[in-house]
Amino acid sequence: MEYSELQVTSNFSFLRGASHANELVDQAEAFGYKKIAITDHNTLAGIVRAHVACREKNISLIPACRLDLLDGPSLLAYPTNIEAYGRLSALLTQGNMRAEKGSCHISRADVYAHAKGMIFTAIMPETLNRKFQFEDSFIGAIAQYREAFGHQLYLSASRTYLGNDDKLIFRISQLSDRFNVPVVATGNIHYHDPSRRELQDVLTCVREKCTVQEAGFRLHQNAERYLKPVAEMHRLFRKYPEAIENTLRISEACNFSLDELKYVYPQEINQSGRSPLEELEHLTWRGAHDFYGEVIPDKVVNMVIHEMNFVKQMDYANYFLFVEDIVREARSRGILCQGRGSAANSAICFCLGITSVNPMKFDLLFERFISPARNEPPDIDVDFEHERREEIIQYIYTKYGRDRAAIVATVTQQHQKGAIRDVGKAMGLSVDTINRLSGSLWEHTDEWFEGKRITEQGLNPEDPHLKKTLELTAQMMGFPRQLGQHTGGFVVTNGKLTDLCPILNARMEDRTNIEWNKDDIDALGFLKVDVLALGMLTCIRKAFDLCRDHYGLNLTLANIPQDDPEVYKMISAADTLGVFQIESRAQMSMLPRLRPECFYDLVIEVAIVRPGPIQGDMVHPYLRRRNGEEPIVYPSQELEEILGRTLGVPLFQEQAMKIAIVAAGFTPAEADGLRRSMATFKFKGLVNQYEQKLIDGMVNKGYTVEFAKRIFKQLEGFGSYGFPESHAASFALLVYVSCWLKHYYPDVFSTALLNSMPMGFYQPAQIVIDAQKHTVQVREVDVNYSSWNNLLEEKSGKYHAIRLGFRQIKGIREDEMEILVAGRGDHYHSITGLRDAGVSMATLERLADADAFRSMSLDRRKALWEVSALQDMPAEIFKGQPSESVLETQVELPLMSKGEHVVQDYASVGLSLKAHPVSFVRDQLDMLRILSCRGINNEAMNGQLVKVAGLVLVRQRPGTAGGVCFITIEDETGFSNLVVFEKLFEKYRKEILHARLLMVEGRLQREKEVVHVIVTKCMDLTKMLGKLMQREADDLPILTLSRADEKSAPYPAQDKRSQVREDGTKSANNVFHGGRNFK
Amino acid sequence: MQKRFVSIWFRQLLADWQLIRRPELAVVPFVFTAPDHGRLLITAVSPLARDFGVELGMRSADAKAICPNLEVLDDKPGRPLKLLRGLGEWCVRYAPIVAIDQFAKDGLLLDVSGCAHLWGGEREYLKEIVSRLKSKGYTTRVAIADTAGAAWAVSRYGKITPLIPEGGHTEALLSLVPEALRLDEPVLAKLRKLGFHQIKSFIGMPRSVLRRRFGEHFLSQLAKALGTEEEVIQPLQVPIPFQERLPCLEPIKTRTGIEIAIARMLESLCKRLQAEGKGLRTGVLTGYRIDGKIVHISIGTSGASHSVSHLFKLFQLKIEQIRPALGIELFILDVPRVDEVEVPQESMWTAKPGLDNQSVIRLLDRVAGKVGFDVIHRYLPATRYWPERSLRSAVSVTEKPTTDWRMDKPRPTELLRRPDPIEVMALIPDHPPKFFIYKGVQHFVVKADGPERIEREWWLDKGEHRDYYQVEDEKGHRYWLFRSGHYGGEQKYQWFIHGFFA
Repeated sequence: MEYSELQVTSNFSFLRGASHANELVDQAEAFGYKKIAITDHNTLAGIVRAHVACREKNISLIPACRLDLLDGPSLLAYPTNIEAYGRLSALLTQGNMRAEKGSCHISRADVYAHAKGMIFTAIMPETLNRKFQFEDSFIGAIAQYREAFGHQLYLSASRTYLGNDDKLIFRISQLSDRFNVPVVATGNIHYHDPSRRELQDVLTCVREKCTVQEAGFRLHQNAERYLKPVAEMHRLFRKYPEAIENTLRISEACNFSLDELKYVYPQEINQSGRSPLEELEHLTWRGAHDFYGEVIPDKVVNMVIHEMNFVKQMDYANYFLFVEDIVREARSRGILCQGRGSAANSAICFCLGITSVNPMKFDLLFERFISPARNEPPDIDVDFEHERREEIIQYIYTKYGRDRAAIVATVTQQHQKGAIRDVGKAMGLSVDTINRLSGSLWEHTDEWFEGKRITEQGLNPEDPHLKKTLELTAQMMGFPRQLGQHTGGFVVTNGKLTDLCPILNARMEDRTNIEWNKDDIDALGFLKVDVLALGMLTCIRKAFDLCRDHYGLNLTLANIPQDDPEVYKMISAADTLGVFQIESRAQMSMLPRLRPECFYDLVIEVAIVRPGPIQGDMVHPYLRRRNGEEPIVYPSQELEEILGRTLGVPLFQEQAMKIAIVAAGFTPAEADGLRRSMATFKFKGLVNQYEQKLIDGMVNKGYTVEFAKRIFKQLEGFGSYGFPESHAASFALLVYVSCWLKHYYPDVFSTALLNSMPMGFYQPAQIVIDAQKHTVQVREVDVNYSSWNNLLEEKSGKYHAIRLGFRQIKGIREDEMEILVAGRGDHYHSITGLRDAGVSMATLERLADADAFRSMSLDRRKALWEVSALQDMPAEIFKGQPSESVLETQVELPLMSKGEHVVQDYASVGLSLKAHPVSFVRDQLDMLRILSCRGINNEAMNGQLVKVAGLVLVRQRPGTAGGVCFITIEDETGFSNLVVFEKLFEKYRKEILHARLLMVEGRLQREKEVVHVIVTKCMDLTKMLGKLMQREADDLPILTLSRADEKSAPYPAQDKRSQVREDGTKSANNVFHGGRNFK
Repeated sequence: MQKRFVSIWFRQLLADWQLIRRPELAVVPFVFTAPDHGRLLITAVSPLARDFGVELGMRSADAKAICPNLEVLDDKPGRPLKLLRGLGEWCVRYAPIVAIDQFAKDGLLLDVSGCAHLWGGEREYLKEIVSRLKSKGYTTRVAIADTAGAAWAVSRYGKITPLIPEGGHTEALLSLVPEALRLDEPVLAKLRKLGFHQIKSFIGMPRSVLRRRFGEHFLSQLAKALGTEEEVIQPLQVPIPFQERLPCLEPIKTRTGIEIAIARMLESLCKRLQAEGKGLRTGVLTGYRIDGKIVHISIGTSGASHSVSHLFKLFQLKIEQIRPALGIELFILDVPRVDEVEVPQESMWTAKPGLDNQSVIRLLDRVAGKVGFDVIHRYLPATRYWPERSLRSAVSVTEKPTTDWRMDKPRPTELLRRPDPIEVMALIPDHPPKFFIYKGVQHFVVKADGPERIEREWWLDKGEHRDYYQVEDEKGHRYWLFRSGHYGGEQKYQWFIHGFFA
């Protein structure tokens, strides 16, 4: 007994199918099916997953599609060979391109034009009309289909227990006789198991935007759309055995497999006339000579030869040539780029200029990055300057054409938050309850489903409705929700891309992407290059430009002097504000402990402060070993080979994976599967399964359970936040370059950083303060000296002075500032001049707010007074006439205190060069015995009870720290780092999250140069800053009610503060940056 | 006569209102939020929440971060105005002209010229207002001055006394912040930036200088506060409730007397209802007896009505419930619930039959008046598969079905409220019965259709699905039978009869 299921809707028919492709395939295999088709609605997005699920199983996939037409009954289309598959893909592309993203418009005529080699099945309607007949339009359509498709056409018959099955199938068989179209049985499958009906109902509700209570007939009446055992299908169609036989006839005719899709590199890659390998060798050696001169070091020669053999063996030459082409193009346009990824840190890539990590400094075995077992192309991601990446993208489109180059898709998956929202809404929960449920997801843990978090939210986890909601949420998580555009993964082919996969319009203009995501592409072995954007590259390029203009240096990523001990000294002192990667609080506190001395130390530094190693508790053992406080031992000989570079502590993703392979006996594919299963999202069952396998495997080989558990935990962390060594190495190079710039040219570095904002952890205020600390002079924005970008002016002391640009002022537009600069000529002498140049009133006010008229001897208040009088300035024919305001009597404006100026500076520019806001309240702080940050960092003793106050810069509550909150505060003397434990956080939640000026009391903890305050008490002192803005208090009337008034008390008793609307503090509150919050 | 104005500022209008409705919230910090560009912004804060640092205009998510047990309530647009309208109507007792503060929409302005002496002076007058509002649950600040603008300013920003004597308002304004002049935020921001923190810092400047910089509106607001420009306030229109009073010269004891009283009151009431396009849904007749007791009767209608004869008939049915005892000296007819009346188009020939016919409704009202509304049922189709829930009771006679009755599936004309178990002989797994025994009678099935499988509404109840069959016995009677569950399923299967086809 055999049967093939030919009508299956997977969850890639968004909000229709309620099972993953692999669930359907697994179930079908269990029932003994030999073949199964996946027929999603107008898409092929899910077939690669189904195909992968079929691998290594005794079942094969028929890639197919359900065509929902604009003008006819829906058809199932099964391509019988690769050409027909190409036509199907082209048909869908055509439909996609003429519709908006998310829909596909196909008509009958389109199908007829692409029909060759395809088998079609017309889908049976679900109902008959009042005369127990099919509608005439359906019968007419079948007649036409029959004519167009001939013997390629079938009619589907399904039994879904709607009460009219017998009648419907009888009519279908009549129709079959009339037009000589064979009947084929299908199950119209929407899920692999009847229990998924509930989820499918919920999906329907999400689609129809209603609740399950009000969905009514929009739901299916029963759960019969599940995959049925072969025998059951035979029973259901016992009267029509030929319908079952026909499923086999179709499935036998459809022998096309996705494995037949062979990737062919585009011809344009290599037009030299040489073979790809020869060309690659040619370019590599030429590049090597360019860098090393006549004599290439032996080491490099050997590496290149070794790698070339590997490339030859794996036939990867074209891939390297392709990347080289993009990089060469970027270089010719002066766009900075840097490769990373599994193959990027090879000698070949260095010689080709794809990466600047010098192989002399860094010896890694090439094969380490590429597993020959998995025959898939190496992975190189190239980062470009974020402001100019689009140029490269358009270059690729232009060079290869839109029918041959496209961006891969990203499948947006349902995550917990989205799933709970969708399911909650469909289940009819109140908005409030949904908010609470998703609010309890602040920390992403498994406990959530176990009810603990939910109880905390005041909901009853035992409530059956709520339980059902959570259960369905768990099922829905991981469902694909929509196809998006990958950030920059490109697929380029030699032939038409549509022969391989349908293309669709991306939401962004001028972009097209394919339906498959990067895992699908990997699975089929297609070439893919990630063209990514990196802000730090923009910053570095701008810094290089400034160095050229002001210091006459011609710098590149590769020619920066390497291994400069001065630079490492700076890094060890954690003077790394603003540089790449190692600028975060956690990194900064790690630096003095790690004391990097060479490039590889930086690689480790980049990788070590990440959730993976932290969760796996790998950081401290590494530190202890490095500082010689703990002997370096290896659990076994085989692990010494893997862990030797990192002193026996696994820190990189590759190491963790290798351990799984070497020590637990995983196959490389299994190890990869494990990583992926955890990366995408947590399939709890699956992860547990792997955990057991890993631990058992390792224990069998003689490792301790404890070690095995630790390895697993780390692997778990790597899953989502892993850092492979090769990536770390590429990043480490940028770390080094940015540190080098910061050390030798802090003026250049700060300017470039400010001009590349927003990026990194810090606000312009901190960057400017840091520059000043390095004796760089910073000058304020001025209408007569500034331009849009921050500039370097003449030297003042050791460095050039930085002139802040208009881009720092809030709410100012670049084009208007170009007008201002163009009209400046020699100098502006009056505000009227700016107005005449064409600067708008609103902008003039903003410039006045920014105190940018100092060169005209106007402070912000006077400037604003003058600006606001320009409203009735003589225009048109009266232009040039004196304004009426010239004639008006002089008005004495209230004098502005320095404190007020600083507050205004912060409000407008986000920083002040006049003073630090905290300096104005220093006297008051002193009286309260509050120490300055300098005092904390330099003078206070370990264990001392201290008080410190400052502006809150960053609040961090990483998921890895068990609810601990890290806060950085700043005053006029520097930074302090605070640690707040969970209990205290709950207690002082308001102060911590609300205060701009935060005062804490706590115990000082000093470990070498790293100083922390373990907080015991918090206080919100923001009101103090408010006083900077307070009105002149001297002549305010005295705040007393007369006796009589006190008795009559028309004001109800309230505390005085809330009696009057407060304005002063309110505005100050909003002026200072609220600090950044990170999870 | 010197004009005098009172400004009442409800400092936490929505919060107070909520606390009056739900006193249990006194110990819970809560806020009201309204969506704004996809975010939920806080529009009102309870005093407790304010202590946590929650402020107006904050995002609800941020507020929840600093105050985790914050109760977030939905603000309905226009609710403050509705509340103020109610409070304003109540304040008419203090002054004839009451207006809603249209600037901040969180207070009232009263023109109290010549009113205060009735309460024994302005101080007592204000005290009365504050304490009465306080006892209602509202926290307020009030002030009295010569101009509405000055009263507004002092009620919100004053620090010394709420009693601004005649002619003293200019001086009272001098030390207040510019916000007290009811200005828009851009102008205020400019004033702040220029360092004008008090009204006196610019009040002396030439008008032309001020006009050029701050605009005409600024000058006008200033003038209104100072009284050099008159402010027109828009008084509230206080609606009169639908109520009729009939004091009787002599106590009424007889049925006829009561009927006459009802008829008289209905006549003038219905005239008013008709004029305003309204109709009665519920009516309460209250009789005040001379022995001090009060008696009530009430009526309800299926649809809004202002027909005297119809309403009269409804009252007639209830008259015997009135015990006049020694006599009734005052009748009051209240209409707590009215609805808009749809004026039916006059039809030329005959009224339409069926439920649109007014006489059917009147008949139903009268029948229901006798036997009660709960024995008359009307069913409408519901869009649900589960047979017991595929129909629902109509709320009113005139309610229109939202969907058509299903015609595509066979459904019996009589559906049993509860399916009755039957004994059946049928082939497994899903064949229709060969025969079945219902109430001791054996029926042989000669024709059958099915099965139609209907699953439970899983979000409501657990249990087995049903396979329905439509069967015909040898006599030609048709039945709707079903089997609950599968043969050999986990739960025991069971056959039932659920309905009869005609």
